[in-house]
Amino acid sequence: MDKKGIYLISGIVATVLFCIFSTELYEGMFTAPGFSDAMYNHSIYPLVATITAAMAWVGAAIYYYAINSVRFARWWHWLCVLAIVTILAPIVCYLVNSSIFDEENLSYAAEMVSFQGVNLLFAAALFVVASFSMRWWSSNCRHTPFPQ
Amino acid sequence: MRLFIFAIGGTGSRVLKSLIMLSAAGVKPLDEDGRPIQNLELVPIIIDPHKSNEDLKRTEQMLNEYCTIREKLYGRDVNGDGFFATKISTLRSIMGMTATPINDSFIFNMEAVGQTKFRQFINYDTMNEPNQALTSLLFADYQLENKMNIGFVGSPNIGSVALNMIKDSDEFKAFANVFGENDRIFFISSIFGGTGAAGFPILVKNIRQAHNLDVSNKNFLRQAPIGGLTVLPYFNLNNSQGKSIDKADFVVKTQSALQYYNETLTGADDRSVNAIFYLGDQTTSIPYDYDPGNIRDQHNPAHLVEMVGAMAVLKFAGMDSKQFLDGMGGFHPTKAFEYGLDKDLLDVDFATFGQETRRLIYRPMVKFHMLFIYLRTALKAVIGQGFTQDEPKIRSEFTATQFYRTLVDQFFDFYTEWLTEMHGNLRHVQLFNVGENNLGNIIHNVLTKKGFFGRKSVDANTFNAELNKLSRDNKKYSDRTVEYKLLDLFNQAAANILDDKYENIN
Repeated sequence: MDKKGIYLISGIVATVLFCIFSTELYEGMFTAPGFSDAMYNHSIYPLVATITAAMAWVGAAIYYYAINSVRFARWWHWLCVLAIVTILAPIVCYLVNSSIFDEENLSYAAEMVSFQGVNLLFAAALFVVASFSMRWWSSNCRHTPFPQ
Repeated sequence: MRLFIFAIGGTGSRVLKSLIMLSAAGVKPLDEDGRPIQNLELVPIIIDPHKSNEDLKRTEQMLNEYCTIREKLYGRDVNGDGFFATKISTLRSIMGMTATPINDSFIFNMEAVGQTKFRQFINYDTMNEPNQALTSLLFADYQLENKMNIGFVGSPNIGSVALNMIKDSDEFKAFANVFGENDRIFFISSIFGGTGAAGFPILVKNIRQAHNLDVSNKNFLRQAPIGGLTVLPYFNLNNSQGKSIDKADFVVKTQSALQYYNETLTGADDRSVNAIFYLGDQTTSIPYDYDPGNIRDQHNPAHLVEMVGAMAVLKFAGMDSKQFLDGMGGFHPTKAFEYGLDKDLLDVDFATFGQETRRLIYRPMVKFHMLFIYLRTALKAVIGQGFTQDEPKIRSEFTATQFYRTLVDQFFDFYTEWLTEMHGNLRHVQLFNVGENNLGNIIHNVLTKKGFFGRKSVDANTFNAELNKLSRDNKKYSDRTVEYKLLDLFNQAAANILDDKYENIN
């Protein structure tokens, strides 16, 4: 298997592991009394992890294969997409999280914001992983953010 | 196969210049089935005692630049594909280790001729009285006083004497010694001047009578396919009335020379030349300055006839040997060719040429013009991105290399000059919209295809995207030079874009 295949499989494995061990990872980064129990009891950690991972991979795929433009092949274009994904993923996760808590009449607004602050870091990291997994086959952006 | 091209006189240099441009674009001779001829090496030998002739100097410089560029692309390999595909070599470079002392130059050394007046060259002053009288009958006084470093200024009777010394020169012996069994010879000369009109029959005679010379490969020379481009009057001169080169004499000189050629080279009983290409134009050029020996000495603008003449060389190279040899050790009768435009127009673009010409030159020339625009306007901006980052990488230092500067700064200057001169001349040749950097509008009278939202657009990013895609899918460059990668990729990209985006005129 060539280098590109190894990168892709490694990225997929890392993302799957992130989803599987999302509870431990999130709680390792952020805990709050009551909030963490509610997140755990309603299995929101894996859900948030899956949404974040999906958005990171979809964002990377859009950049490398849908946009895939000579005009958007500079590192700062990639950074813009990373910023968009990093902001958008926590917002979507917050809305999902919030709707679940609303149904259960739970109120952890401040904790949810703080938690999504942590999730923002994971979103960024997952976008980087997704980028390095799939960029090799892009015709115009395979050397973005930096050369192979 | 080596094709030795004897480019004689100013016309020889100018046709050679067009041949260099076509070869740079990747125009290659085609065989009868339309396939490019492989293993072809051109060996131009410029014969012109007029060393200060600007046309000669420009051609020599272009040849040297061509060789510099090509060596970076293909090394010493004879075969190439794409831009600068055809190998061009000096006579010296193909000789290998030898004791024969000749210069590594495309120009035949004619010091012995160029340094003297004609009367000194023939030792007029030491002749006895009857011989002096005979000589005076054959040559006018001004011809005897003619210093031959400005050529034979329209006097073929001088040229035929002076150029006969060529057979004894080191260069001619070197040529004869290196000439191989499958090699060919081609002559480019005008018929209405001095140097070319005289040089062609003299050299053919010396080659066909090589058995009298002390050279190896005599039989190869005697049996060699010989082609000739004989350029008939096509240009006009300012203030030439009563001068050594008088345009009023062009037609008379041509008639006399044609008669002589018919009797000695191409007639029914004489098969010294196997293929003869007659080329001229009754629409004469813009008037050129009459200036032999002056500062801008014979700096004549490029002309359509010279470009078509260059195609005669390619046509000859692509012909099958069976067309010349009768299979019994002799030759078939001389084949004569003429050329006609598809449309008799003063403004010439690609559509004015016949289909065979378009098939030969259209795609390579358009791709080369695209390369010219792209390298001059777009490459620097894309370095560090996309295909430039694939191995071997094109780094910013690349634009300071000898290859890049020779191609982009020097060779392309000659290229634009050539296009501009052809456009300014009569007939006006406007193949491209010179000065137009919009890649969607570079081919004169050829538009991009219609798309959903109007005409398809083509810009530098169109090329960048195609180059990126081709580079991603192509692994063959890892052991090639950066120069080869760039030009080979571009050749493919330009071909794809030409097919996808532009209307087809072939």
